[in-house]
Amino acid sequence: MSDQANEPHWKRDFPIQRTEATKVSRRDFARFLCLVSGGLATGSAYVAVKANFFPQEEVKGEHFVCKAAGVPLGGTRSFVIEGSSIPYILIHLEDGSWRAYEQKCTHLSCAVYYKPGSGQIVCPCHEGFFDAMTGEVLAGPPPRPLPALEVVMRGEDVYVRAGSEGLANNETHV
Amino acid sequence: MSNFKDAQNKAHPNKTNTLMSALIVVLVLNVSLQIWLLYTGLNNALGKNKDVALPAFIASLVLFLIGFFWLYFLPMGYRNKNNK
Repeated sequence: MSDQANEPHWKRDFPIQRTEATKVSRRDFARFLCLVSGGLATGSAYVAVKANFFPQEEVKGEHFVCKAAGVPLGGTRSFVIEGSSIPYILIHLEDGSWRAYEQKCTHLSCAVYYKPGSGQIVCPCHEGFFDAMTGEVLAGPPPRPLPALEVVMRGEDVYVRAGSEGLANNETHV
Repeated sequence: MSNFKDAQNKAHPNKTNTLMSALIVVLVLNVSLQIWLLYTGLNNALGKNKDVALPAFIASLVLFLIGFFWLYFLPMGYRNKNNK
């Protein structure tokens, strides 16, 4: 060991002794795991702060979408509420009822579409299926149901407003 | 009087290698639990159920602190220096 100072660089970088070689790599891996653990704790903190102090704003008031005659049975119309960038989809179901959902799939935000006659909303990216009546997930990777808006009919005009708790997807006639 | 670190440095390399492997297994379990906590906190927060987010964060923080202090047991490999 007395010639440590004269030893060439490559010998120091690639030690022959097995214990030295294994110890260095596993020690660094353990420290790296601790760093990843810290990063995940930070991520959880961000989610907690964002959910409790900066919640997503609810849709306020009623918004006009279109005339009822403009959407045939089994048809859909995409719309956006002013002041927000979220795309929505209005569906005129075959039984005459109306539904409005966010068009962003809850898996990875692909645009979903309604498959006429099937009663299902389909996400083509990863074969996710939602129930058109309730927005609940039927099959595929999406983890949550589609967020819904309440559809309100005022004569021939179709309006939407924020869905209230426990009144999911019920339309009301005024 | 020797302390824990002195005793560890004089130990046979097989013991320190086993210890290192066990340490990494515990850290991997910690990270797996934290990944699950983050996923469930985020999924519920996006689904308008924000009550899960704070307990999930507290549990994740506790797991990180456990892992961080667990590193005290990490062998530092000073054995060869002491034997010069």
